[in-house]
Formats: sequence, C-alpha cells, structure tokens
Amino acid sequence: MEIIIVLGVIALVVLFFVAQYNRLIRLNVSVDEAWAQIEVQLKRRADLIPNLVETVKGYAKHEQSTFDAVVTARAKATTATTLADTAAADGMLTQALRGLLAVAEAYPDLKASANFISLQEELATTENKVAFSRQFYNDNVRELNTAVKTVPTNFFAGIAKVNEREFYEVEDPQDRKAPNVKF
Amino acid sequence: MGVLVWLVALAALTYFGQSTTAIVPIAVGIALISVWGSYYGSDKLVLTMTGAKLIQESDNPKLFGLIQEITIASGLPMPKVAIVIDSAPNAFATGRNQDHALIAFTTGILDVMDRDQLQGVIAHELAHVANRDTLVSAVAATTAGAIAILSDMLMRMMWFGGGRDRDRNNNGNPILLVFSLLILILAPIAAVLLKSAISRKRESLADATAVAFTRNPAGLRSALEVLAADSTVVHQKSNSIAHIWIESPLDGKAVSKMFSTHPPIAERIAVLKAMESLN
Repeated sequence: MEIIIVLGVIALVVLFFVAQYNRLIRLNVSVDEAWAQIEVQLKRRADLIPNLVETVKGYAKHEQSTFDAVVTARAKATTATTLADTAAADGMLTQALRGLLAVAEAYPDLKASANFISLQEELATTENKVAFSRQFYNDNVRELNTAVKTVPTNFFAGIAKVNEREFYEVEDPQDRKAPNVKF
Repeated sequence: MGVLVWLVALAALTYFGQSTTAIVPIAVGIALISVWGSYYGSDKLVLTMTGAKLIQESDNPKLFGLIQEITIASGLPMPKVAIVIDSAPNAFATGRNQDHALIAFTTGILDVMDRDQLQGVIAHELAHVANRDTLVSAVAATTAGAIAILSDMLMRMMWFGGGRDRDRNNNGNPILLVFSLLILILAPIAAVLLKSAISRKRESLADATAVAFTRNPAGLRSALEVLAADSTVVHQKSNSIAHIWIESPLDGKAVSKMFSTHPPIAERIAVLKAMESLN
C-alpha cells in the first residue's frame, strides 16, 4: 500500500518536472516563431522600397541624398543577421522612409499619382504589421524571460538549455508607438 | 438556449410519463447533444442563423489588412471573415477553437467606424476567439443545465422517496407537485442568471484583451461611444445568439441588468478611458 503512494508521489514529481521543462521549450519556440514573423514583415517592407523609390524619383529627381539614405538603410536591413543589427537597421530604415515621405509632401503631382497613393497605403499597412510583429516578439520574450528567472522554472532552464532572450528595441523613440497611419 | 432544451425535455417526460429518475439520462443526453452539437458546428450554424456571407481578401483588402495586423499582434491564425448586410453597426465572433474561428461585421459598422475604431472592434472579436469564449459559453450552458436537472432530481428523491412503488401514481400529493413545478420553473431562471453573469465577465475580459493586442484603448473606446450613440439594432435578434454580438441587440429598456449579456456600455467606456490615462 505504501509503495503505491510512494510511486504515485514520484510519478507526480516527474510529471511536474516534465511540465516545467516543456513549458520552457515551448516558450523558446514561440520566441523563435515570433522572430521569424518579424523577419517576414521586414522583408515585405524591404521589397516595397525599390518601387517606392523609383516612383518618387520619377517626380522629384533632385532629392538624391534622401534616396541614398533609403537605399543604404535598405541594404543594411537586408544584410543584418543578429538581433541587434536587425533592430538598428530597422530603426534607420524607418527613419529614412519617413524622410522620403516627407520629401514627397512637397511634390503635389507625386502626391496625386495613383501609383504613389497605392504604394503609400501598402507601406502604411506594412509598417503597422512590422510594429505589431515587434510587439508580439517582445511579448513572447517577456514571458520567456519571466519563466527563466522565476522560481519553479528557473531550475530547469539549465537542463532545457533555454536562456533569456533579448528584447527587440528599435533605436528611434518615435517607433515605440505603433504607427497610426490613417488611410 | 441549451437550458431551455433541457427543461422542455425534462418537463415533457415528467408530465407525460412516470416521474422516475430514469428520465434524467435521457434529458441529459438530449441537452448534451444539443449544446455540444451547436458548439462544434458553431461557425456554420451561426452563419446560417445570421445570414452572414463569407468574404475573401479581394472583397475587402482594407478590412483584411486590419485583421491581419491583429493576428500578428496576437499570434492567432487568420479567422474566416463574413459580412452581414444590416445598417445597424455590430460585429460578432464564434467558432469552436482558434483554427475554426469566424468573425463577422455588419455593413453598418464598416461604414461608420474609422480605422482605429474598426481595429478596436476587430481586436475585441479576436479576443473572444483567443479566450475561447464559445467553449466557455457551451460549458456554462451545460453546467447551468446540470444544476437545473440536479435540483429537480433532488426534489424528486426527497418527495417521492428512493424506491419505485409501481402502485404509486405520480399525482400522489398535489402540494409536492406544485412545489416541484415551482423548482422546475425557478431553476432555469437561476441558470440564465448564471449564464448572463459569466457572459458579462467575458465581455469585460474581451475588452481588456483587445487592448492587450492593440495597445490602443482609445480605438475601442471611441468605437463603443459610436455604438452607444447609435440606437439602431440588428435585424437578427435571436435570443440564442444575442450574447455573441459586440453590442447586445436585446438589452433595450426592459431587460433587467442581471439578465443582460453585456456590461452597460457606459461602464465599458469608463474602463477603457481609465486605461488610456495609464499611458
């Protein structure tokens, strides 16, 4: 009779260990998935840019410095690999794009062109998606880091080989808010 | 709605047959099949009941863009989207789990809301999906019905005794019969009160979860203000699915606060305003 109780207790303890381990693994995988989502959205944004630059160039030929800023930032963004580099390039590109759109404000023909309007809408949705994917990633990192640091699960972090992950922080302070672009 | 099925089944079987406890499994069976059947097929069932039509991304790319933004923020899969042709602004969400979710909007709400407001409404509906509120309602209906049946069973056992006496007519004692009838009437009222309380709590939770997705309480708050100011009501006012709309089509003047499926809209607006000031 006592053996059954002891076995029962051992079984519960084992189940508890497994649950904690699995939780850490699951959280880690969610963070990986959220990171992949950021990369997808950043790539979508990068793909929109050449078209946008060409359209603006068609009307505003002499704003070379703005175009250069965008093109350089885009190149940096597409080649970045580590999280820190990607976040830095993301911030630079967002700022360069803002500069480009500001330039476009001064050219009424450009602003009225259907092509530019549709590109601007696509860019706006993409910027929002990038912002939400950053938010989702950071939410997941927060959950993972909390689990890794708080008491029951922190004992398992070593065995599970799960560590704290970095938050995705973009340099530009204006980027901390989700862009509220109205169509 | 499931509760009504229970009670009709139970009442019918009781008063047209022997009031033995053997009817309980039959009543339970009927109720379980009805509640869980409608839960399982909730997305298709609700489409039929509301006359909603499924749409694709090409039908309304802006709406789909807004929904995709929230699915990114929440990590949910993209739900099915439908439109209800009705000038009253309203929206609902249903589906047995996040992979079979359906959200729908009336043409009225799409016309009257701006981008942030509509995104707040979308976030509220997806919050229902994320919080598994269809499942919660199904469990609530089952529990409420079970309580009703259990109370009836206990009444019977108390007054008619444990054993079955074949000679005994179920019209043995008229007072006890009236009593049992009273219980039978009051129990479903208690069940509905319970379901309404649960529904109100889940609505508040959905408001909060929506803000967790958008990080923009002002969007949903101004959407609710627009809904509060608009007095038109959706045509599809069926009792059984009244609770799934964002603004209840039933909570007009006469419905007591305790029976309403949504917290009062002024309260919801006040809560969201408080969140805005935290920023």
